[in-house]
Amino acid sequence: MDDSLSEFVKKNKDGFDDKEPSARVWKEIENRLPLAKHVSIWNSVAVWRAAALAFLCLSLYTFFTRPSGRPNMNAYQSADFTDLETFYSGQIQEKVEFINSFETGNEKDQLGQDFQKLDAMYQVLSEEMKIRPSEKVKDAMVLNLLIRIDLLNQQIKKLEDKRKPRNMAS
Amino acid sequence: MEHVGVNLHQDIIDRCKAGDRQAHYKLYQLYSKSMFNICYRIVKDEPAAEDVLQDAFVNAFRNLKNYRGDSAFGAWLKRIVVNKAITHIGRRRLERIPDEEGFDIQEEVQIESASFPFTVDRVKEAILSLPDGYRTVLSLYLLEGYDHEEIGQVLEISESTSKSQFSRAKKKLIEILKEQKYG
Repeated sequence: MDDSLSEFVKKNKDGFDDKEPSARVWKEIENRLPLAKHVSIWNSVAVWRAAALAFLCLSLYTFFTRPSGRPNMNAYQSADFTDLETFYSGQIQEKVEFINSFETGNEKDQLGQDFQKLDAMYQVLSEEMKIRPSEKVKDAMVLNLLIRIDLLNQQIKKLEDKRKPRNMAS
Repeated sequence: MEHVGVNLHQDIIDRCKAGDRQAHYKLYQLYSKSMFNICYRIVKDEPAAEDVLQDAFVNAFRNLKNYRGDSAFGAWLKRIVVNKAITHIGRRRLERIPDEEGFDIQEEVQIESASFPFTVDRVKEAILSLPDGYRTVLSLYLLEGYDHEEIGQVLEISESTSKSQFSRAKKKLIEILKEQKYG
């Protein structure tokens, strides 16, 4: 008897967790939490995006104007770089999923186009990394990923701003 | 890095600690449904379960700095939710022995062991019709995966009381299910 009931509950756990709280719960939680922390200039997406772009341009400039790569060919394709790439890709994936769960349409298309361009650039850099690996290419690749994160953060901020007036009204 | 094995969402938790409202919402989205069902099973009323859920999340967010990752975040949050739900229905009501509430438990309740002949809806309905004490112990043990030691700590009862309450709750549940079926 014991086993059949326990087994039944275990097998059908999802069926027992079928209720969902209404939207008011989050609204009230949000109202009761302290105000979101003021975003300092160094947390501002715009500032970081500008800085990332400037750094990217500078890196690309120095990379392409320098005559030759360094001999240490595989040093930059080390585990460190793979870790970085995995880490940022994970963050990007998570943010994309979060945004996708909210919106459809034009803004998403715009973001998609930006990402296509960044993907194309990333492909070129990856090829370059295989042929002539260097610190500069690695930096450019990391910046490419950082720009994506910045774009996604901006999109998330937009979503947050859209939601604010409704929350204030309640 | 130590928390990677314990928490899939450590980065979100860290952002919450830094006051990131978006991260708070993400964490809420991840856990609200399962936590709401825990609340509902204990308090047995949807609006009340929503109030408990709200209190629990506010409490968890405010005390997030005290969460050091010793246990999984879900387990830490669940403990807050269960405590709030129990406080809501009142520990005293749980301490009452259900026999005093007029339940006459038959010692031998047999059920076909080869298969469990009831539907999820029937079992849910039967669980909700149990007295508070039985329902809470049974839910915590069967559905939330607590052992009797943990139930004892949460409900402030002894481990053996938890065991006997669970045994009685289960018998009563089967009895209700059989009544539903044959009655």
